Amino acid sequence: MKRPGTYSGILSGGISGRTGPHLLPLARIKKIMKKSSDDVKMITGEAPIVFSKACELFIEEITKRAWNITLQGKRRTLCKEDVASAVITTDIFDFLVNLVSDSAKSEES
Amino acid sequence: MADGRAGGSLGVPGSPGGGGSHDSGGDQSPRSGVREQDRFLPIANISRIMKKALPANGKIAKDAKETVQECVSEFISFITSEASDKCQKEKRKTINGDDLLWAMATLGFEDYIDPLKVYLARYRELEGDTKGSGKGADGSARKDALVPNPGSQVQLAHQVSFTQGMNY
Repeated sequence: MKRPGTYSGILSGGISGRTGPHLLPLARIKKIMKKSSDDVKMITGEAPIVFSKACELFIEEITKRAWNITLQGKRRTLCKEDVASAVITTDIFDFLVNLVSDSAKSEES
Repeated sequence: MADGRAGGSLGVPGSPGGGGSHDSGGDQSPRSGVREQDRFLPIANISRIMKKALPANGKIAKDAKETVQECVSEFISFITSEASDKCQKEKRKTINGDDLLWAMATLGFEDYIDPLKVYLARYRELEGDTKGSGKGADGSARKDALVPNPGSQVQLAHQVSFTQGMNY
């Protein structure tokens, strides 16, 4: 398991003040949670807080992986296709494959 | 949804869809299905976090931000559904933080567990320090300050009742 060292930057930014306690709005997270299934009726106050951090880690990871692909293409602007490639080449992002390929098709509208 | 309305009729100028939602149990727009602001996290926040992950000279196209924005909502739903299944199997009604950690570990995000535990521990510490100042999530704290009438008390109490632990 990875040590949290690589994330300590966010930790200090996230909870100790500079950027406010949480980088993402908890109420919004809660709404998205409740919409994920009709079975989701009650959640503890801690649950959106877990997600506020988990989403940061998730965004960080997907962005870094996408950026590597940007660099491989000798570009300086991370674009949607890089995100899609990052999703496709990363096992744990399998659940997003349909989303990125769908939006690749239906976009540009 | 009656809740959100009630907030509005009290003259709360709170940001639309901002931090101040109260109960959102099945809260969906009466108008056209689901509002964008209910489905996604704000793009500005997403963008900020993405930029932090890149070198200073890195740029991010708008469509990349939007894609990540969609992915994040999908991530929340994916993890929540798994946690919800577990709760159902164990005949519990409330999803807690540990259920989410378990779901993340199960679905391949075990690298997130340690940093999340650290984050939670620090959060609980801070929460312990400020407990008693009586404020909910930042949105409601702001609103409460803006609207010193009895209605807001009810709302606050309501919010606290199911977001215990969200004050900091």
